[in-house]
Amino acid sequence: MSTQNLAPETLSHDALSKRDGNLVGRQFKNNLMLGLCIVAAGIGLLSLFLVLYFLASQGLRYMSWNLFTKLPDAVEPKLGGVANSLLGTLLLLLGACLFALPIGILGGIYQLEAKGPFANLVRFMTDVLNGIPSIVIGIFVYAVWVYPVSQSNPGKGFSVFAGAFALGIMMIPLIMRTTEEMLRLVPGTMREASLGLGATRWRTMWSVVLPIAKGGVITGIMLSLARVAGETAPLLFTILGSEFYPSMQPVNFLGMSFSIPVFNEPVDALPLRVYKYASGPDTDQNNQAWATALILISLVLIFSVAARFATKSNIEEK
Amino acid sequence: MNANAIKLAAIAAFGLVGASAANAQTIQGAGATFPAPLYQRWAQEFGRETNIRVNYQAIGSGGGIKNITARAVDFGASDGPMNPTELASAPGVLHIPMVAGAVAVAYNVPGVPQGIKLTGPVVADIYLGKITTWNDPQITGLNPGVNFPNARIVPCFRADSSGTTAIFTNYLAKVSASFQGGPGEGKSIRWPVGFGGKGNDGVSALLRQNRGAIGYVEVAYANKNKLTYAHIKNAKGNFIEPSLESATAAAEGAKLPSDFRAFITNSMAPQAYPITGFTWILIYPDAKPEVKKFLTWALTTGQKSAPALEYAPLPEAVRTRALKAIGQ
Repeated sequence: MSTQNLAPETLSHDALSKRDGNLVGRQFKNNLMLGLCIVAAGIGLLSLFLVLYFLASQGLRYMSWNLFTKLPDAVEPKLGGVANSLLGTLLLLLGACLFALPIGILGGIYQLEAKGPFANLVRFMTDVLNGIPSIVIGIFVYAVWVYPVSQSNPGKGFSVFAGAFALGIMMIPLIMRTTEEMLRLVPGTMREASLGLGATRWRTMWSVVLPIAKGGVITGIMLSLARVAGETAPLLFTILGSEFYPSMQPVNFLGMSFSIPVFNEPVDALPLRVYKYASGPDTDQNNQAWATALILISLVLIFSVAARFATKSNIEEK
Repeated sequence: MNANAIKLAAIAAFGLVGASAANAQTIQGAGATFPAPLYQRWAQEFGRETNIRVNYQAIGSGGGIKNITARAVDFGASDGPMNPTELASAPGVLHIPMVAGAVAVAYNVPGVPQGIKLTGPVVADIYLGKITTWNDPQITGLNPGVNFPNARIVPCFRADSSGTTAIFTNYLAKVSASFQGGPGEGKSIRWPVGFGGKGNDGVSALLRQNRGAIGYVEVAYANKNKLTYAHIKNAKGNFIEPSLESATAAAEGAKLPSDFRAFITNSMAPQAYPITGFTWILIYPDAKPEVKKFLTWALTTGQKSAPALEYAPLPEAVRTRALKAIGQ
């Protein structure tokens, strides 16, 4: 099809006929490559579908309300649940967000605005950080947080803090990169208009550029959450695991008193629980591992769908 | 259950709940998988009696020693005593014996019943790769009347640093010169043949999945996972089944030094199972009062629930000394 658009200008009859001879070959090549692309896309989709199908067919069979409401039961594994792991994962993600969001977004703005060798270095380092294996990040957090804290506070080194720190480190480059890309998509005319009206660079960024890119930035955050929610390796060295709900601590805030989960104690997480249950010999726990994996995948799916939703609403606004 | 559901919903939705939540103390422990079923039951019972939550994570004896050395947990647990190098980096650490347990030599050979007879040297030769099929004359000779298939033996061992391995290899090194001179003993050794699994759980899973497999697991795991296991010939020449009674017999005959660090394998008592070991909880003398309260409870009330899970309670003399050591 594209061959037709290449209009022959001043080609001789010979050249034209030679070209026509090539046409069949080109079309064949075209169709062949197209076919290969479709096959590749099909294999990709099929493997995703197979994973989801297998997980759902196994997981749904062992799904139960108990899983969401009960703690693991050492004596009767069948009656236990993974409520502590679900809660732990949510706490870890919350902590990781508190840590990674400000750094990631501000870092993204910096990479957009700053020029010069140092900015390039930061950009390069962000990519390097993105490529570091997650297990290495786990060991790093063990060395800088878990071990030192344990010296002064025995039993408090493995904690939500440490786990959230490790997950946060993994989220930072992802958020930084997507934030930068999204801000870059904002038309330069908008920025110039704002600056032309006398707004400062800070005001332009805060009131014009960021709000326009909001949907994209949120998408980046959601995708980074989906990415780290299933990580096991960085948690092996940082949260130890727990058979209980996180402890609660009463706090007074603006005259109201309520309890919040403490962040300086070991905690459980869904991927860790799947790993533990799936590798064990207990059939009930093997089954619960399937259902727990399904819960984990659903959580990731929720983040991905939320990301889609954030982008969509942004497009509609425009 | 209902209260938990509400609590979960509240935390998930708002990240906080009403002040009604009991402010329980939690103590953190990690280590050996060998006594984990018992420690987790203790945690449940102790948690009901007191307001102290005991979080025990079974990560292997090596991990337990590492974490108590780093003070990353309130107590560690191991079934192999710490070696001099490990002790040097954790000055003052105490070994408190908790219970004794038997390490079963389990196998998965279709058609072969529970309770075949094996000797220490034969088990050592299997793990040295010298005996490779189940119908080897050395095995069939011990078991007249049992029909062994011509199947390959798949030795399974612990891939992680393990106290169960320490007990097992300590025994093999005592009864087989070539094992002592070859792989030797320790929590983590270089096995000439076989496959590794993580934790007693992992080895149990390997045993269930592989025909022809042989492996060593704590007897509570063997029973829980319905594995078949062998009777082992002890120092007095009797073939003994790993059980509560035979582990108790081995523990009763044991003489422990003042710091409790000793193996009790290959006991001279006539009814003792030869691959038996103590399991220890490791604490620093300045451990939290809650930890000492838990250990004291474990050495008194807790001992009563040990037999139900096939662990042998401590001999009275050892128990008294252990209680004294905690009190110091």
